[in-house]
Amino acid sequence: MSLTKKEWARLEKKANDLRALTLQTTFWAGSGHIGGSFSSIDILTALYYKYLNFDPKNTDDPDRDRCVVSKGHIGIALASMFSDLGLIEKEELKTFNLTGSKLGMHLDSNKVKGLDASTGSLGHGSAMALGMALAARINKKTYKTYLLLGDGECDEGSVWEAAMATANFKASNLITFVDRNHNMIDGNTEDVMALEPFADKWTAFGFDVKVVNGHRFDELCEAIEYAQSAKTKPVCIICDTVKGAGVSYMAGNYKWHYGAIDEAKFNLANEDLANYLKQRLEVAEKEGK
Amino acid sequence: MAKQSPIITQDDVYAARIFLYSALPLLRVIAESEEKYGKKFAGKSFVFQVSAKYSEAEGGAMGTHFVVEDGNWTVNVGKLHENPDVEFIFPNLRDFNIFFSGKGMPLPKIKGWGKLGILVSILMTLLRMAGLLQCKDVPQKLEDQIMLVKLYFYLLPSGISQLNKLGYPEFKAFTEPSPDRAYAFAVSGYPELQSWLRIKAGNSKAGRGEYKRCRPFLTMRWDSPQHALDILMSKAEMIPYIEQGFLNIEGAPEFGGALGNLMFGVAYFAQGEYLDKLN
Amino acid sequence: MAGGLVFTAVESTKLATAEIFGKTLCELGEKDPTIVALTADLAGSTKIGDFQKKFPDRFINVGIAEQNLYGISAGLAKCGLTPFASSFSVFASMRALDQVHTDICYQNLNVKIIGTHGGTSFGQAGSTHHAIEDFAIIRSLVNMTLICPADGIETGLAVKAAAATKGPFYIRINRGFDQTVYSTDDYDFEVGKAVEMCDGTDITIIACGSCVYQAVQAASILKNDYKISAKVLNMHTIKPIDREAVLKAVKETRRIVTVEDHTVIGGLGSAVAEVVVEGGKACAFRKLGLQDHFSAIGLHEDLMAMYEIDSEGIVKNVLEVMKADFEADEDWGDEV
Repeated sequence: MSLTKKEWARLEKKANDLRALTLQTTFWAGSGHIGGSFSSIDILTALYYKYLNFDPKNTDDPDRDRCVVSKGHIGIALASMFSDLGLIEKEELKTFNLTGSKLGMHLDSNKVKGLDASTGSLGHGSAMALGMALAARINKKTYKTYLLLGDGECDEGSVWEAAMATANFKASNLITFVDRNHNMIDGNTEDVMALEPFADKWTAFGFDVKVVNGHRFDELCEAIEYAQSAKTKPVCIICDTVKGAGVSYMAGNYKWHYGAIDEAKFNLANEDLANYLKQRLEVAEKEGK
Repeated sequence: MAKQSPIITQDDVYAARIFLYSALPLLRVIAESEEKYGKKFAGKSFVFQVSAKYSEAEGGAMGTHFVVEDGNWTVNVGKLHENPDVEFIFPNLRDFNIFFSGKGMPLPKIKGWGKLGILVSILMTLLRMAGLLQCKDVPQKLEDQIMLVKLYFYLLPSGISQLNKLGYPEFKAFTEPSPDRAYAFAVSGYPELQSWLRIKAGNSKAGRGEYKRCRPFLTMRWDSPQHALDILMSKAEMIPYIEQGFLNIEGAPEFGGALGNLMFGVAYFAQGEYLDKLN
Repeated sequence: MAGGLVFTAVESTKLATAEIFGKTLCELGEKDPTIVALTADLAGSTKIGDFQKKFPDRFINVGIAEQNLYGISAGLAKCGLTPFASSFSVFASMRALDQVHTDICYQNLNVKIIGTHGGTSFGQAGSTHHAIEDFAIIRSLVNMTLICPADGIETGLAVKAAAATKGPFYIRINRGFDQTVYSTDDYDFEVGKAVEMCDGTDITIIACGSCVYQAVQAASILKNDYKISAKVLNMHTIKPIDREAVLKAVKETRRIVTVEDHTVIGGLGSAVAEVVVEGGKACAFRKLGLQDHFSAIGLHEDLMAMYEIDSEGIVKNVLEVMKADFEADEDWGDEV
């Protein structure tokens, strides 16, 4: 497959919008899980703005694709994205984390339309996503289920219980992404609890593993389309990413797992995001078809 | 030449206890349940006793006697009557046990030829009882099956209880730690075929009919007299019968197993198995 | 001497409670295509295997992975299915508690958890396999309905009620050898409504699960041996508890003994106590169950006797509670 310059640029702009809105929401809230949000936003953009069979006007459609964001702490990115999709009023983002708000760090699927699962307790999304994939089989539906895991989350044993079962049940209608941003609350994943050889682990659990640059839409799209055509072996797409991608003072720094943003930081981040978009559009222009 | 008296063992005492306290009283059950035998005693009054010597000393005998008054039976287990009208006197416990277990025919000395009519009636009834209890195969006729189930149902709890009262170690080990629990035997559709055994802290009590205090802790309930006898006479295995629904253990199966062990314990003496071990 | 019965040989056909669960589930599966059965390597022990034979496409065995079991169940329920996920109570309530709490209860999903081998019913397996805290844990979960049926017939009714009612259910059943309480399902079974097993005026015994049978037998003994008239309530639904029945019992008998195969902390006894205390009427009260200790190894029947939750234990405690004087807090002697 090949991503056209136009399509690539569209995705880049959308991703930038989402980063900017997430930054804005974080600023309104005063703080948020922004590092892991920024490492995931390109993956979410590819899914929600290109591949997911998901109609914001018909979020209960039984035939829709499902998406479980197991790294539930990026509620701030999800809320911003659902707002962009028209499912949350923009004004409501201003209430994020405030007492009485329906929006908080970890979103509630009973309060946010279109959100397929309430996550937050790490390691839970895998099994729920697998349940949704198996439900497609039982209900004779062709929809796909997409699962987004954090890398630190893979310390949880339940991730591997579900991984083993996904391969065992040949649930290739479940497509797994791992946001491999190399950082968790206490530091680098390899310092806290080593994950490597990470791809080998997924291979050993019965997955067809693709490792891609999680900030390049050409690679993401190619991997997704590859995974969509899987017949029996489920695919795991390990997305190599940068925590806090796009913001100079956050990028690659584990301390920005969760952080507070004042006005100066907010303005600086906005400048950085504009430059980041510019650089990425240049790549799209140069390498897109 | 006078026969040498055998050395009496503790097992002889256990077996004799079952025969005197649990088996012999079934004579009354036959007389009261079967008209054919009951009418032989109608209007009659007499005392019948079975006794066996366990020592040469004065009074060194044990026995059970029946007082029949106007055809009504009273059983006095383990008690000797001073002057019974009819009496079977065994020279020792071993012979008594051999005779009642059906392992042989060491005949007792019979007292009471003067009341020949009664003696014959008693003999006929005893033969009926022995014929049922000692038959090798399940009787064909339903009425015989019912009678035999009844005899077993009365004999087993009583036998267990008697061995327990006598301190038989295997049974004591089961009854002493036991809370107040009743084990019952029943055949569905035959209300007359019910008996029970209540155990509590080393005590035991055998009873007939329905256990009324509360529902028994465990009930072995068969679906027919035939199937009950298949198990009681060791003609079939319990587990397949449970699987086929011929026998329902109401309660935990482990305790069904424990009750089964107690039943085998009684059989060990009542069927004279212990005698085989002596030779 | 010949050996006793070996329960494993009988297990395949005689697990009354679990058997009825299996049968009921098959019956429901015929009518309702959304019903899915799941287990974690306990298809045989939890009697869910019957369903597997009949509806292989709607049966999922996740292996020994209880967290996965309840996470997958949540995912299935999210897609409109009605999962019945069975495991041993001890694992359903604790090993997978985070999933039960967050995936199922927080999202208020239509997942039916069948916890088998409840209480100390897996006797010889010991404390690792006894569930003596599950009522306390499960009862505290929002959106959850908690039922502990008295026997196989009531299990069938509870399973049907769970299938007919949206939302998370936890149904705790036993290993399956308990004596039966009901001979027919023709009685008023309603989730959240206690069943009066017998009426009485002196004391009320409130029980659930296998203790209901014991309570009924205890009432019989109390009547026959001690002339005490005991009311017995089968409190099959622990949450939501039947407040009305408890308050009526307080008013009518002023003495209550609760009986459960569970620790006395947080379970049925606690649920009843909360209602009693909030009712504001004085009441002599005693909770029977495990008194804040782990369970012993042994046959279930013996453990029940050990913890005084069998008929004899109940009788003993009722006799003591009958003597309780609940106005002894004041000195009523005249001053001279």
